[in-house]
Amino acid sequence: MSEPAVIAGAPGGAPSPGLWRIAWRRLLQDRLAVACMLVVVAYCGVMLASAAGLVASDWEREVGVTYAAPAFLISLHDVRDEEAGGAISRRAEFDAVDLSDIDPLAPRYDEWRRQTADVDVESVERSLTLPLGGDQWGRDILRKTVKGSEVSLTVGLAAALIATLIGTLLGALAGYWGGRVNDLLEWLYNVFTSIPYVLLILAFAAVLGRGMLTIILILGLTGWTGVYRLMRAEYLKHREREYVLAARAIGVGHLTRMFGHILPNTSHVVLVQFSLLVVAFIKTEVILSFLGLGVPVEVVSWGTMLAEAQNELVMGKWWQLAVAGAAMAVLVTAISLLTDAMRDALDPKLR
Amino acid sequence: MIDSARLPGALLLAALALLAGNTAHAEQKVLRFAFRSVETGFDPQRVDDLYSSAVNNEIFEPLLEFDYFARPVRLAPLAAESVPEPEEGGSVYTFRIRRGVYFSDDPAFRGQRRELTARDAAYAIKRLRDPRNRAPYGWLVQDALVGLDELHDEALESGRFDYDRPIAGIEVVDRYTLRLRLKQPDYNFLYRFTMPQTAPVAREVIETYAEDTMAHPVGTGPFRLAEWTRRQKIVLERNPSYRGRTLDTTWADPGDPEHRRVIADLRGKLLPQLDRVEIYPMDASQPRFLAFMNGEHDLIQEVPVTFINQVAPGGRLLPSLEARGIRMQRVVPPEITYYSFNMEHPVIGGYTPEKVALRRALVLAHDVDSEIAVLYKGQGQLAYGPVPPGVVGYDPDFRHHEQDYDPARAVALLDLYGWVDHDGDGWRDRPDGQPLVIDYLHSTGATAREAAGLWEKSMRRIGIRLVARGVQFSDQLRDRKAGKYMIAAAAWAADWPDAQNFLALLYGPNAPELNDNRFRLEAYDRLYERAAMMPDSPERNRLYREMSRLAIAYAPWRLSEYLVWTHLSYPWVLGYLKHPIYHTRLEYLDVDVATRAAAQAR
Amino acid sequence: MGAYLARRLWQMVPTLAGVIALVFVLFNWVGGDPALILAGKVPDPAQIENIRRQLGIDQPWWVQLWIFVQQVFTFDFGRSWSTNQLVSDVILSRLGPTLTIMVPMLLLETLLAVTLALLVAWVRGSLTDRVVMVVTTVAMSISFLVYIIVFQWLFGYRLAWFPVQGWSEDLWTNLVKFAPLPVLLGVFVSLAPSLRLYRSFFLDEIGHDYVRTARAKGLSERRVMLRHVLRNALIPILTYVGIGLPSLFVGSFLLEMFFSIPGLGREVIDSVNRSDFPVIKAITVYLAVLTMLVNLLVDVLYHYADPRVKLR
Repeated sequence: MSEPAVIAGAPGGAPSPGLWRIAWRRLLQDRLAVACMLVVVAYCGVMLASAAGLVASDWEREVGVTYAAPAFLISLHDVRDEEAGGAISRRAEFDAVDLSDIDPLAPRYDEWRRQTADVDVESVERSLTLPLGGDQWGRDILRKTVKGSEVSLTVGLAAALIATLIGTLLGALAGYWGGRVNDLLEWLYNVFTSIPYVLLILAFAAVLGRGMLTIILILGLTGWTGVYRLMRAEYLKHREREYVLAARAIGVGHLTRMFGHILPNTSHVVLVQFSLLVVAFIKTEVILSFLGLGVPVEVVSWGTMLAEAQNELVMGKWWQLAVAGAAMAVLVTAISLLTDAMRDALDPKLR
Repeated sequence: MIDSARLPGALLLAALALLAGNTAHAEQKVLRFAFRSVETGFDPQRVDDLYSSAVNNEIFEPLLEFDYFARPVRLAPLAAESVPEPEEGGSVYTFRIRRGVYFSDDPAFRGQRRELTARDAAYAIKRLRDPRNRAPYGWLVQDALVGLDELHDEALESGRFDYDRPIAGIEVVDRYTLRLRLKQPDYNFLYRFTMPQTAPVAREVIETYAEDTMAHPVGTGPFRLAEWTRRQKIVLERNPSYRGRTLDTTWADPGDPEHRRVIADLRGKLLPQLDRVEIYPMDASQPRFLAFMNGEHDLIQEVPVTFINQVAPGGRLLPSLEARGIRMQRVVPPEITYYSFNMEHPVIGGYTPEKVALRRALVLAHDVDSEIAVLYKGQGQLAYGPVPPGVVGYDPDFRHHEQDYDPARAVALLDLYGWVDHDGDGWRDRPDGQPLVIDYLHSTGATAREAAGLWEKSMRRIGIRLVARGVQFSDQLRDRKAGKYMIAAAAWAADWPDAQNFLALLYGPNAPELNDNRFRLEAYDRLYERAAMMPDSPERNRLYREMSRLAIAYAPWRLSEYLVWTHLSYPWVLGYLKHPIYHTRLEYLDVDVATRAAAQAR
Repeated sequence: MGAYLARRLWQMVPTLAGVIALVFVLFNWVGGDPALILAGKVPDPAQIENIRRQLGIDQPWWVQLWIFVQQVFTFDFGRSWSTNQLVSDVILSRLGPTLTIMVPMLLLETLLAVTLALLVAWVRGSLTDRVVMVVTTVAMSISFLVYIIVFQWLFGYRLAWFPVQGWSEDLWTNLVKFAPLPVLLGVFVSLAPSLRLYRSFFLDEIGHDYVRTARAKGLSERRVMLRHVLRNALIPILTYVGIGLPSLFVGSFLLEMFFSIPGLGREVIDSVNRSDFPVIKAITVYLAVLTMLVNLLVDVLYHYADPRVKLR
């Protein structure tokens, strides 16, 4: 017997592929939802383009002066080079200490001098303004934000994927099997939720070291509990449904019943939970970066940008804070509104 | 949301009412300021952090101090009557304790006035070597005083330190005389007795509070601890049993307007003048800075460099702040920040020309100009040698081009010694063709991360691959100790202002603890040993210069900069002169309550 | 009831064991070495050895685990490794400030969120409803860090409505002077998610048959909303508040760091940075126990709020 037939015949109003199609149509009717979808797609496009090196691959180039002002402010802002330069006057002439009697490199001083003359050192023209301003090294905030979206989105998506996978798998096991398996997993759940989240994150960070993968793992390994709770409840509900009982009657195996039959019927819950986690993790990454547990130094994320910018508002250089904050807010808003719309579309009971 | 908008107004009124109530008892002279970081506690022998020590220095009195005015700094007696002269070629020092100095009252003294004696000074020194105290500054007297190490070793065995057994190294001659005998001559030994770690403590107090000595400091100094909320608020109040002092202007420079101001501020006053000092330890720099700017605090020491251009762009105080009477002092403290190369690492360590060439090239390629101008907002001077300004033995003429940022010379040097790209992947390799990857170790702070990013960028510019590894503080210590790094960010603040305190970091036999990158050069070690036996003299300075030359030629470090710190105070803070060694000298501070009230009314 | 309580309390034992094991593995076994931090700037091997012995971290792991277990059952975690303070003193002194911030925050937030949610549910589907929903979504999407930085700068410094930071010994001073800005920030951030959630609870109730019946009986909309909808929706709302209760005792380390509040959240961060294991252990275990007790309390309260809820 083919699967759709079973599901179509299943009473209880679980979403079927037909319902997915209806939900999709309902979603398309919601103009706000469509707009949000476009925003999310656009961000993903930017992320992919950045990952492929098509845009912002040169984000590290120092194209402006320190804290170059945003170009649109040029008329308002008195562009001065106050910070650059500082108080270094060390190129002044002086008699250098002679090291030649002790220097292991002394025998080749002449060669060294000759070769130095042949080395070209590129000098960069630094502009006073940049489209959305520059950071303290004179890097373009716009390019940095684009590059940052790559990392932040990757972290959010990958960590949410891991957390959802773990949560779904464990929830399915606990809900479906019950008994000892359930007891064991409930215990694990209780242990994880009894420890304050901050401590859990700090502990995992201490154990796992630093790096992109580490952050994804930290977030994924600590964030699965919510999904687990919901999926367990879903499986508890569904395993007694007639379509599952029917499948058992005709000898369908446990694995197929768990993941072939029940999972598709609960996938709307998974989808909603997944997008909620993406939002949560993008925000948590900021806090991790603030605590110095963020991505490596040669990588930029919105979190590291905001952590860098924490003192810049007082300095009057608000653009990095504003641009990174806004970039993040727009994406997170879009995902959240889209999630709402999805939930409504999938679960007609709510409006 | 609508409701919450109205909320601040109501609360503001309540807050104003509260402020008005506070001004009622304004006669008390109260000073408020912040620490940049948190304190640990106030048992002078058991702590090593800067901020606990700063508080201990106000509560306890070490035998010696540094004069308030003298620059370069100069030893002066404090709990001792005079600065001892070295005897027997610098291996015996005899302290005469000042008479009539009393500890502040405490229940441990059972209602008796308790005079300071030589016994208390001896007890404090022994405490540094009692294993139970885990004294982080135990090394001050380790391997120095005759018989003390033996006491320590026996205590390790028996679990009990025998304070009562007399030893030859610490001799209490009479009630007011303490004689210290060293295993070998040391002309810098006296500096140790300016530190709160050696400050006399009363044995009965220590024994009464046993495990709680951190919260019960009882000293002879101008202040005593009134309240303490750990890592939040430290309140000192004037010690009523303190003998009181007047300003000693012997070493003041009459040509220095700052000195003249301080002398005018404090003329004829019995010190201390402050009744109460409230200190707030704060990790975050934004609130610390803003608390000063809006007058919640009376002074700010070490303005966060990120905000320096908000108060003093280009090293000059903003006119708007000057109009408010705010005063600025800029001081280079005796400390160095540097990057340490692991001298035992098979790739980056070693003394052959090609290894020296690699390190020298890394030094030249590291963009120290940007580090100073951008990361430290111009608040630093390029460091030419391991001995910073303000330290005995500092040589302002010791300058050269080997610590410059000069990528062209770096590239030429690497090419010359075979550190070139062998396999065509765009990155330089070792001379034998093996790939070259630099492992850079740093801690997780924001500045450390930025500095690491700058290293990564600088190295990429000359084709060297560098992987920065940010780890938590304890892991950083672990990896440095185990030698699991190639370059590590480091800093050293002077314990005492003599060049030796810095040059000791590269002395071979000090490896691996003090000399933690394990630099071992025989010529250097011999110079160090000769200098250690000498009093301050031009001859010793010549040896110091030789050692600095070797440190530059062999490049065990990338010296980066000597930082300049800015300190600000409101006009009602009197007598404030930032000392390069002391964090604060609250004893010399005063507050003009009327001026403050007038300013706040405006 | 007695039997139920006994059983629930008994069930806490394995959870606590799990918490102990996890904390032990994460911090004791693989965490940083506190001896290196405590040894000072010239870390002599003999000194490090001495410190390890005094802290007991030179013992085999099972001995250390056993000591930990004993500590949990005697409620005596000894002294902080970094400051030598009694751990119980540390926690007790940090709890007050955390609660001073968190309790007003929770009360204010719940009150505001319930009121606003009810109003929005009342006008469900209207433009107002949609606008509020979008505004709350946007408000939720901005990072807490950004809020703190901007609010502190704006309200504390530029407008000077509140002190930039600070704390005192006096509860009243704290409540009227130092707590308002952090509390406001906390409310601002947590209001949006609760508002959305509570709205959905109200909508859930409105969808039920009894509401339709009540309306059909001719009850005014106002009466329906207040008498029936609000009352019935209170149960899920209380559950939600109950779930959030334990976090009351952790506090927000971000707020505590920026506003210099000597609370538990900052203590956690400090302790981890210093590998101050006794403090970490104590805070974790104490919070775990608290979480479990609060959950139990919520379940029991349910029973009284709604006798249909069976205690199982």
